[in-house]
Amino acid sequence: MPVRLSDRIGYYGAWFSGLFLTAVVFSIVAWLLVNGLRNVDWTFLTTNPAPGSVEIGVAGGIVAPLIGTLIITAMGTAIALPLGLATAVFLGEHGKPLWLKQGTDTAIDLIFGVPSIVFALFGLAIFSNPSLVFLSSEVQTSGMATAKSYFCASLMMALIALPPIVRSTQASISQVPNVQREAAYALGKTRFATIRTIVFPSIRPGISTGTILGMGRIAGDTAIVWILLGGAVLEPPQPGWYQPQNFLEFLHGTGSTLTTYVYFASPAGEGNSEGKAYGAALVLFALVFIVNIVLGRLGQRKIGRQ
Amino acid sequence: MEANDNTPPVDAEYEKALSQEWRHVLDASSDRHAAGIDSDPTEVAVVAEPVLAGVGAGAAGGSSADPDAPPARRQHIADPSDLALAIRGLRVSYGSAEILHGVDIDAPRGGVLALVGPSGCGKTTLLRSLNRLTELAPTAKIEGEVLLDGANIYAPKVDLNLLRRRVGMVFQQPNPFPMSIFDNVAFAIREQAQRRPSRGSLMPQVEQALQRAGLWDEVKDDLNRSALSMSGGQQQRLCIARTLAADPEVLLMDEPCSALDPRSTARIEELIVQLAGSLTVVIVTHNLAQARRIADYAAFLLNGDLIEQGLAEQVFENSKEQSTRDFVAGIFG
Repeated sequence: MPVRLSDRIGYYGAWFSGLFLTAVVFSIVAWLLVNGLRNVDWTFLTTNPAPGSVEIGVAGGIVAPLIGTLIITAMGTAIALPLGLATAVFLGEHGKPLWLKQGTDTAIDLIFGVPSIVFALFGLAIFSNPSLVFLSSEVQTSGMATAKSYFCASLMMALIALPPIVRSTQASISQVPNVQREAAYALGKTRFATIRTIVFPSIRPGISTGTILGMGRIAGDTAIVWILLGGAVLEPPQPGWYQPQNFLEFLHGTGSTLTTYVYFASPAGEGNSEGKAYGAALVLFALVFIVNIVLGRLGQRKIGRQ
Repeated sequence: MEANDNTPPVDAEYEKALSQEWRHVLDASSDRHAAGIDSDPTEVAVVAEPVLAGVGAGAAGGSSADPDAPPARRQHIADPSDLALAIRGLRVSYGSAEILHGVDIDAPRGGVLALVGPSGCGKTTLLRSLNRLTELAPTAKIEGEVLLDGANIYAPKVDLNLLRRRVGMVFQQPNPFPMSIFDNVAFAIREQAQRRPSRGSLMPQVEQALQRAGLWDEVKDDLNRSALSMSGGQQQRLCIARTLAADPEVLLMDEPCSALDPRSTARIEELIVQLAGSLTVVIVTHNLAQARRIADYAAFLLNGDLIEQGLAEQVFENSKEQSTRDFVAGIFG
């Protein structure tokens, strides 16, 4: 037990901080469970949102926003992951020329720090250009693009998912012992082969951690969904949207996600049905939690029997 | 004569030989030496004759069957003027610090060349320049030539990856990859083949490499075990097997035993002696006793200069240079 006063303050301070943080997080989870579980049932998960605001409790179900979250997360991650891995390999393995490494480093930090609504606004300006109409659809009156589609939103989502993927992967790369790279070179491996066979298997946990964080950012983002996906909570996808002939058109159209539904159903939005907001928040929480566990498992490396 | 006597190697004999810290004498004039060169590597070590250390060429006769004969010596160097590696005017610097000031060293084919000298004398840099690992450091600058079978490895358009398979390297710390034993050994072969070969087709080569490294009997029942679960000595022999799988002509070893206990060290030394002949070994060592036990040739480096090279015996026992004598005597090191 520490004797000096400053030690004691530090010791109890650290101890208390841990306890406090754990208590806060568990309270939130408990609150979410208590308020959310009451509203989550099969109907809630399988019906579309409905207009509310006049009568409380008619904000409908969450099937369309749930699908929206899944699709936007999958698409955003699919774009961000290869890009992020390549960037991390560049920063961690090559890093030359120096000015490009430093520029990339700064860019990653900037993306991390800037709120997503800034990127959303930027995306709106870019994607509404008529030459990029293939990403969304045309506004008949002006000839501009709507800049609201799954494509537009996922591109920007990929951008905000990049920093955690890059940083986490980069940190893992730096932990691969140099002696192993040298051993591979000494066995006549090329640089590419060394990265593929020695570095990559070792950094899988780092990649999956980064991916989890990146997916969390996408699933949790609201600003980009409002601006680049339309946040169209009350416009559910056409029946049969998932059929191959309709799917591309669906991706060109607007949509909503769980985060936008939570806003819609909360007392701040027009759905005005607090319980349903909790329900949707709980589903989102569960989704992220499951992704965490699954990816965490996948990231664990198997290297024969120990 | 007895060089053709192919009795299989007996471990006990070897340990005895090692324990007596025997030293062999090169027998340059004899035509019997070729025996080890092309034969099966596991047999090379047997090409040993009971000879009194220090006695010249003609004395190599006698009955090889005599178990009480003096320690064996190897006859695996066909022709000391046949060089596997010839280092010519090698000058290496990192940034503004010049580590090697232009050295010339010969490594006769099939022999064990020990690079000795105090820390910081440039031995490791020299070794790493022989398979061009030195240039991984961005500031490294290399001048001079290293002739592998007469061809300069620093010539333009040299295939680095091929070079590094021809000149294999074993590092100071055992550094197996975090994979199974099998995958570690198969690592180099997999890259050599264009398509990814199946496990079955790699097995003969993997087994042969593990046999040569003297590890097969210990691991054959469980090749899927993680290499990281092995002991340090086993890991180092696995690293040797991994290098041997690429079938190198020259094996570079950078203090391969410095992280190992005496028992494991003895096994590796034994292995080096067995391997010599079928390939050329260049070993950096801090351990003079080790150099005496295993080396045919020695080169003594001091502060980036070559002070002396020649037959190991001559360098260690009859040195022409005062600084070598001081180093061997332990006055500095």
